[in-house]
Amino acid sequence: MNVPIRMLGIATSIFWVILIAFIASAAYSLKDLSFGFGEPQFTAAPSHDLRFSLPIYIDNRGYYSLKSFNISTVFSDPEGSEISKASTFVAIIPQGQRATIFHNVTLSMDNLLEKGEQYLFNDTDLIVSVAAGVNFAELLPVQISMNTTYPWGAPFYNFTLGQPTYNRFNITHGRITVPSSFENHAAFDLVGDMRVELYDSADSLLGKSQTPLNVPQHSPYTGKLDFYVPLNSASLSAAQSGHFSVYFSTLFFEYGPVVIPYG
Amino acid sequence: MAEEKKKGRNKIKDLAFRVVRASVKAILVYLLYFFIAPLLAPLLGLIPGFMETIEIFVTVYIVLMILSDLTAHTIFQYFFNSARALFVIAYLILQLGSGVISMDVENFSLTVNLTMFYTIAALLSLLGLAKSVLQAINFLNERAESGTHP
Repeated sequence: MNVPIRMLGIATSIFWVILIAFIASAAYSLKDLSFGFGEPQFTAAPSHDLRFSLPIYIDNRGYYSLKSFNISTVFSDPEGSEISKASTFVAIIPQGQRATIFHNVTLSMDNLLEKGEQYLFNDTDLIVSVAAGVNFAELLPVQISMNTTYPWGAPFYNFTLGQPTYNRFNITHGRITVPSSFENHAAFDLVGDMRVELYDSADSLLGKSQTPLNVPQHSPYTGKLDFYVPLNSASLSAAQSGHFSVYFSTLFFEYGPVVIPYG
Repeated sequence: MAEEKKKGRNKIKDLAFRVVRASVKAILVYLLYFFIAPLLAPLLGLIPGFMETIEIFVTVYIVLMILSDLTAHTIFQYFFNSARALFVIAYLILQLGSGVISMDVENFSLTVNLTMFYTIAALLSLLGLAKSVLQAINFLNERAESGTHP
């Protein structure tokens, strides 16, 4: 009986040594792992979607491969209602290799604006839940999760249409000029046009104006809208008060009307 | 008289040998811990209080090992060996629980699933316990055959 017991002891010892060596080397090689994030990029995707692309750099200089790397993000509004979610999966990052992973999140501006037009005009903080997991050294699944905020910059921040001014254009028409201004706080360039309809106090359409927009991100915009209205006393007096209906059409979204009273 | 003296000398020799053997083994285990602990520090340092419990674990393990070596060739050796195997299992159960460790570090939460490691370590400890029980049975058997008391 002595020999089997001794063999059992030797086998147990060998397995312990292997297990401890494996755990120690796995833990030690953690220090040779590095993760980094690049500058997020916004691009236009089909059907008025905004694609948020986050480059993730993983340098695996450890002793083991990283398997089943996955990252998932959920964007929610400040009330907790889900706006968008996405996940990225990489089957294997071999030992000694560097990998660049692009985590793409598609934000549907149409869906976002269904929740409220404040996303066009007011900056806000979106809640982002990030969960990343990796199977380290085959034996140790590790997961990291965090909640953070993403500062949403409004593309038409502080959008204002000023008081209309009246000028005579020709014998038959007068020109109503309306100053407009906003700041593009969004992370993307605003390319498209803005169409404004001018209504009098009786809700009659007096005139239309359309202006192209090409506002780089984080830039202010100031412009003037001209409306040509028939020159008669009735229309000019009616135009003293009323409202504007504003329609936005850009690469990422179409929205309108936004009703802004004047007078 | 001379034989009794010889027996006494042999006993002292045997005891001295056991003490030296226990000391060498304890030093070796401590050196193993001394070299491995810094390697584990990047991972275990994230869990507050984990390194302290490992120190306690190593201390108790070494004490049980020394006691086992000092009581070699007696039934107590196998008691201490079994106690050591049971202590490893108990430590794993108390420290790791289900094998999933979650901790909050700064503004994120880290979850490490040690179930596989935990299962393998527990099975190896059970093998160690089985070995100690078999050794105890074998020891009693040999004593019964030779007609000496344990």
